Amino acid sequence: MIGFLVRRIAQAVVVVLLVTVITFILLRAIPGNVAVAILGPSGFRNPALLAAFNREYGFDQPWFDQYLMWLGHLLHGNLGFSWTLDQSVSSELGQHLPKTIVLVGLSIILALVVAVPVGLWQAAQRNRLVDYAFTGFSFLFYAAPSFFVGTVLILVFSVKLHIFGPEGPQGGLVSDLTDWRDMTLPVVTLALITMALFSRYMRSAVLDNISQDYVRTARAKGASQRRVLWRHVLRNSLIPIATLLGLALPAILGGALITESVFNYPGMGYMFFKAAQQQDYPTLLGFIIVVAIAVVVGSLLADIAYAILDPRVRYIRS
Amino acid sequence: MHVQQWHRHRRLRFAAAVCSATALTLAAAACSSTSSNTSSSGGTRISGGTAAWAEQPSAVPNYIFPFVSGTYASTANISEFQYLMYRPLYWFGNGTSPTFNASLSLATAPVYNGTTVTITMKGWKWSNGETVTAQDVLFWIHMQQAVGAQDWFDFVPGLFPSNVSDVKAVSSTELTMKMNKPYNTTWFTYNELSQITPLPTAWDRTASGPSDCAAVVADCAKVYSYLDSQSKALSTWASSPIWSVVDGPWKLTAYTSDGHATFVPNRAYSGPVKPTLAKFEEVPFTTESAEYNVLQAGAAGGGQKLDFGYLPTTDAPDKPASAAVGQNPVGGYTLAPLIEWAINYFPVNMQSTTGNGPVLSQLYFRQALQYLMNQKAVIDGPLHGYGTYTVGPVGTYPATSYLSPQGHQGDPYPFNPAKAKSLLASHGWNVVPNGVTTCQNPSLCGPGIAKGHQLVFNLPYYDGTNWLGSEMTQLQSNASLAGIKLNLQPKPFDQVTAIGAPNCKVAGTSCNWDMADWGGGWSFSPDYYPSGETLFTSGSAVNSGGYTSSQNDSLITATLTTNSLAPLYNWQNYVTAQLPYIWQPNAPFELSEVADNLRGALPQNSTGQLNPEDWYFVK
Repeated sequence: MIGFLVRRIAQAVVVVLLVTVITFILLRAIPGNVAVAILGPSGFRNPALLAAFNREYGFDQPWFDQYLMWLGHLLHGNLGFSWTLDQSVSSELGQHLPKTIVLVGLSIILALVVAVPVGLWQAAQRNRLVDYAFTGFSFLFYAAPSFFVGTVLILVFSVKLHIFGPEGPQGGLVSDLTDWRDMTLPVVTLALITMALFSRYMRSAVLDNISQDYVRTARAKGASQRRVLWRHVLRNSLIPIATLLGLALPAILGGALITESVFNYPGMGYMFFKAAQQQDYPTLLGFIIVVAIAVVVGSLLADIAYAILDPRVRYIRS
Repeated sequence: MHVQQWHRHRRLRFAAAVCSATALTLAAAACSSTSSNTSSSGGTRISGGTAAWAEQPSAVPNYIFPFVSGTYASTANISEFQYLMYRPLYWFGNGTSPTFNASLSLATAPVYNGTTVTITMKGWKWSNGETVTAQDVLFWIHMQQAVGAQDWFDFVPGLFPSNVSDVKAVSSTELTMKMNKPYNTTWFTYNELSQITPLPTAWDRTASGPSDCAAVVADCAKVYSYLDSQSKALSTWASSPIWSVVDGPWKLTAYTSDGHATFVPNRAYSGPVKPTLAKFEEVPFTTESAEYNVLQAGAAGGGQKLDFGYLPTTDAPDKPASAAVGQNPVGGYTLAPLIEWAINYFPVNMQSTTGNGPVLSQLYFRQALQYLMNQKAVIDGPLHGYGTYTVGPVGTYPATSYLSPQGHQGDPYPFNPAKAKSLLASHGWNVVPNGVTTCQNPSLCGPGIAKGHQLVFNLPYYDGTNWLGSEMTQLQSNASLAGIKLNLQPKPFDQVTAIGAPNCKVAGTSCNWDMADWGGGWSFSPDYYPSGETLFTSGSAVNSGGYTSSQNDSLITATLTTNSLAPLYNWQNYVTAQLPYIWQPNAPFELSEVADNLRGALPQNSTGQLNPEDWYFVK
């Protein structure tokens, strides 16, 4: 297991590096002069100012020299300085990342808490009305884009019914955890889409397991339906969910980006949205580093969870 | 000097009559920005209350030092943030009129005697009890002399402060300077002195202690460096002993880097209208939709309430021809479009290296393209009736004396595909409607245009505004009627401006582009007189299309040096016909929504300045 972990971590580092190289090249391929975009009229009124900007931020160097310079700073813990937001990128991440973690974390927990029992129940009630009903809801939310779900929820629960707020909490982390009125709709929006995905997989996994020999054995020994499902089938059915959770992390973060925009929630999505519009390369690279790390860590955790949940899986060299 | 409407950021410049300090009897009405909601009346004025004001999407203040470099020059930083606390020497804006406002200025109107300019301070106070003096003005000018070329966003080589000498504080209340030649005094006040924001003595320091930039230019670079670093420490703004010294009506009490800013009244403010509100809050939004959600929920009785927000253009009600606005979809609010003192256009690159440069240099081709721009359809369609025509280099709204009688006659190139086709055909082109027009007779097409050359152009445009997207597809369709093929390329705002805003040969950027439309054109601020020295002069770095004309240059020079409107009219009539840019409709800066119990916020200032000290609630 330790060897496996070492190999996977080494792979993860390579993947993150490759992601940064590709991103760096793509960002530099964007047409237009960055200094002009940032400095505006005063920049191109004064070519010396453009040259000074390019020199200060290394834009007068070949792209690979710029990349190596950025990488060198990264290895020293310096993610760069955002010239549009007037802050260091690490300071921005420090403000915005925890809020996104809270949003994504709460929505995943909510999605799991609902999707797992629903999937289990659907499988147990297979081809009955309740199964069809939940399947319909799942397809609906799976197909619906998050901005649409969020907007509908705002119109119904905020504008019409005044139950929840129309935007996410605007304060710090404490408000995210205590201001349930404003936090509910963003969390539910993100959770509904994830929930639809998870419940479908859960239903399928339970159906696979329910016809296995060990289930028949349990039933033959007189175990009740409830005991069979919760005690025997549930754990085995969670294996694909654990894998899915890791692999779905990028998609969930992507959904968070849109959800944050709809709910005016100042998380990573908000930060990325502004940076993408303003050619703020340091911020974009900082964001992508975080997402890349989240993806490889998610994938690694999924593998570890897979081993824990399924005793048959052992990561040893054959 | 003029500032482009980057991100709907910056503002305008100005025109119209100067409010004389002697017109005291009417000063409050004519020269102050105090006003009341036009659509709401009644109710009892109450003191106090918190007004929440919605910031434009993704446009939050991020620089507090009112000596702003190009990186930080934005309406969000200057008009909507810094000016609340740190007042410019001269204030521009009287209701919707972009004119000099004597009552809100820190000095009386400048006095010109030959080439000598005298500025007399009113003796207003900083919040620390010190007086706003001539030395504070000198502090700013010295800063400009020391670092302006690099760090002042509106710096133009050869103009202020290079065009003045012998700048000195005669006393604490009087400052004099000598212009290097006689200038049009309105231009000098509106475009040169308009840039100055006095800086307090408390800021004349470095990290190691007090300095003397107000007296010694050589000291200014270090002072700038210190203040710039303090301005970049966003988390310390509200508690900073530096930034707490204000001469405006508001003081900052809380700020987060997301853009939430809370202001309370500066009790020491010397201006004519003291704040009535207890607090003024600026609230950031990711998108127009997010803002509209909050606006609707608040209007419907939900939790958060925006007292001053805006309607996304896509949700705007169509404006009947006979009314100022359509039926407001938000109950309990007044809909009031904010239209800036600006012109809108997009450049065609006469210096293009794509092979189309010789075509774009031909006036007949630009005329043909302009005849295919249907401004009326854009205003009536995607702008829902709220746009204004751009008829040349001078704005049509608000009404000013700067627009020539010819400009008052309306769109000089109304939509006319037949004329466009005729212009091309008469200049040697084989016009193929809905196909691609080619040059048949190079001697008529123009120098550098080969036989068989096709009218095919790339047109990158800002994709963040719905109305502009609609205008672009409409222009593409219209152009196809004359066989002109426009390849539309939607892009983020900064990418479009980075491609198309600079004069590529002057700024040293790539000339490999034909056209570019960032949708905002040019707004006149902080140089409010619509002369064309920056935007239209040959070789100017912001002459985006590289238009060159010695006649145009001499006409512009006349506008700067003659105290008369005649040269301005002559120049604008000439350049309107020359089409250095393609004119397009001027969209509203925003469709403001003002809560009916909030008064004093309307009419809005066309220069983009924000005056919440005029606002009050009624019950």
